[in-house]
Amino acid sequence: MIKKEELQSLYNNELKDKLAGLEVLRKSVAKRTLGGIALIALPIIIGIAVFVYLDSNNSVSMDGLVKVLPFIVIALVITGIVLLILNIKKKKEYRRRYKNEVVSEVVRAIDSEWNYAPEDCISQSEYYSSDLFRKNFDRYKGDDLISGTIEKTDFRCSELHTEYKEVTHDKDGKRQEHWVTIFKGLFFHADFNKEIRANTYIEPDTAEKLLGKFGQKFQMSSKGKLVKLENIEFEKIFAVFSTDQTEARYILTPAIMEALVNIYKQYKRRMHLSFIGSRVYVAMSFKKDLFEPKIFSSGVKYEDVEFMYNLFMVNATIIHELNLNTRIWTKE
Amino acid sequence: MNTTLIIIIAAAVLLFLIFMGMYNNLIRKRNEVDNAFGGMDVQLKKRYDLIPNIVATVKQYATHEKELLTKVTEMRAKATSGNISNEEKVALDNQISAGMKSIMVAVENYPDLKANENFMNLQRTLNEVESQISAARRTYNAVITDYNNAIQTFPSNIMAGMMSLKRKEVFVIPETERQNVDVKNLFN
Repeated sequence: MIKKEELQSLYNNELKDKLAGLEVLRKSVAKRTLGGIALIALPIIIGIAVFVYLDSNNSVSMDGLVKVLPFIVIALVITGIVLLILNIKKKKEYRRRYKNEVVSEVVRAIDSEWNYAPEDCISQSEYYSSDLFRKNFDRYKGDDLISGTIEKTDFRCSELHTEYKEVTHDKDGKRQEHWVTIFKGLFFHADFNKEIRANTYIEPDTAEKLLGKFGQKFQMSSKGKLVKLENIEFEKIFAVFSTDQTEARYILTPAIMEALVNIYKQYKRRMHLSFIGSRVYVAMSFKKDLFEPKIFSSGVKYEDVEFMYNLFMVNATIIHELNLNTRIWTKE
Repeated sequence: MNTTLIIIIAAAVLLFLIFMGMYNNLIRKRNEVDNAFGGMDVQLKKRYDLIPNIVATVKQYATHEKELLTKVTEMRAKATSGNISNEEKVALDNQISAGMKSIMVAVENYPDLKANENFMNLQRTLNEVESQISAARRTYNAVITDYNNAIQTFPSNIMAGMMSLKRKEVFVIPETERQNVDVKNLFN
C-alpha cells in the first residue's frame, strides 16, 4: 500500500506522462463539443435576430434571403448535432483510456492484488441486502467497482447512484416527471469480524444536530429502536437504530464509536452504515461523479490523482479504523 | 348540563389520560430495566459455563497458578449458587472479571499453553463473552439512566413518588479494575 509521498513520485514519474498523452484527446473532445454547441446555438440566435430585423423594417428587397435563411439555419444545426453525436464515441474513448491508464494505475499502486472493473458496480442484491435505503428505485447505475482483501478482510466498493421517478402535475394538470436521488456516492461493504444476528443501522443524525438532546424525541425509524449511546460526539453525528439493543452495543464498542467519528471527520460526508448478516455496509454520499475525467479543464493535475487516491483509501481506512482485521472473537 | 360541568369532566378525563400515560411509561421503563438485567445475567451465565473449561485447561500447564485458579472457581460456585442478591451478584462478578483477567495475564508465562489450540479457542470464546457482557452492562446503564431520568424529572416524578419507585444505581467499574491488574496482591 503506497503512502501519500510515494503517490507524488508515482505521479511525477508515470501518471503525469500518461495524462499529458491523454490531453490531446481531451482537447479534441472539448473542441468538438464546443464546436457542436456553437453550430446549434449561433445559427438559431443569428437567424432569429435577422428575422426580427427584417420583419420590423418590412424590406421587400430581402425577400429572397428570408426564404433561404431557414434552410441555412437548419443545415447548420444538423451539422452541429451530427458533430456532437460523433463526439460521443470520442468522449467514451477518452473516458475508457483515462480509467484504464490512470485510475487503474492508482488502484494498482495502492494494492496490486485489488481488482478494478471500470464498468461494473455493486449488484442490486448487495444493495438490497444492505437494507440502507428502503425506498424503491426506478433507476440504478454505478461504475468503478473495486474488490479485494486487506489482510483478513474482504471488501467490495463502487460508485453508485439510485433514483426514483416522481410524477407531479402542475396547475394546468400537465404531467411532469423528474428524477429524485436516493443515494449517490461510494458504496462499500466488508466482512465484519464479529458474529451478528440482529440488524443495526447507523444514520446521519439531523434531528439531534439541530435540536440537541431534545431532538432525540424525534428520532424514529422503521428499521428498529433508537439506541442511545454514551459517546456524546458520536451521538451528535449519528443516530443508531437496532433490532437488538445489546447487540448494537456489542458492535459499537467505545473504540468503534471513536473510529466512526474519526472517519466522519476525515471525509465530512453523510454516512449510512448497517451491520447485517456477516457484513458491514457503508454508504458515503457525494454530490459529484467520482473517478470521471474532466473535459473542459486540464487533466494533468496532481490534485485529481490525490482525490482519487483518498477515495480508494476509504476502503482501507474503514477496515483499519473499525479494526476489522482483529479476529480475537469467535468468528475467524 | 351546563358548560362548567362539561369543562370539569373534560379536564378530569384529560388528567386521567395524562396520569395513565405516565403510569404506563414508568412501568415500561421499569420492565426494561428488569429485562436488561436479565440480558446481562444470560451473558454472565455464559461466562460461568466457560470458567471450568478454562480452569481445567490452564491447570495442566500452569502449575504455579493453583491458588488463583481455586479462587476463581470458588467465586464461580458462589455466584451460581443462586441465593445471593443482585448487588452481591454484581460485586462478585466484578471480582470474577478481575480474576479472569489475571489468569490471562499469568498465562503469558506459559508459552506451551498459549500455543494450545484448545486454549486459544477458549480464549476467543472468553473474549466474545467479555464483549457481550460489557455490551449488556452498557445497555443496562442506558436503560437505568432512562428510568432514573423518568422518575426524577417533573412531572413524572409525582407519579413515581406515588408508585414508590426508587432510583437505581448504574454500573461503575470498581476501583480495583481501574488500576492496572496486580496479580500478586489481587486476592490478598
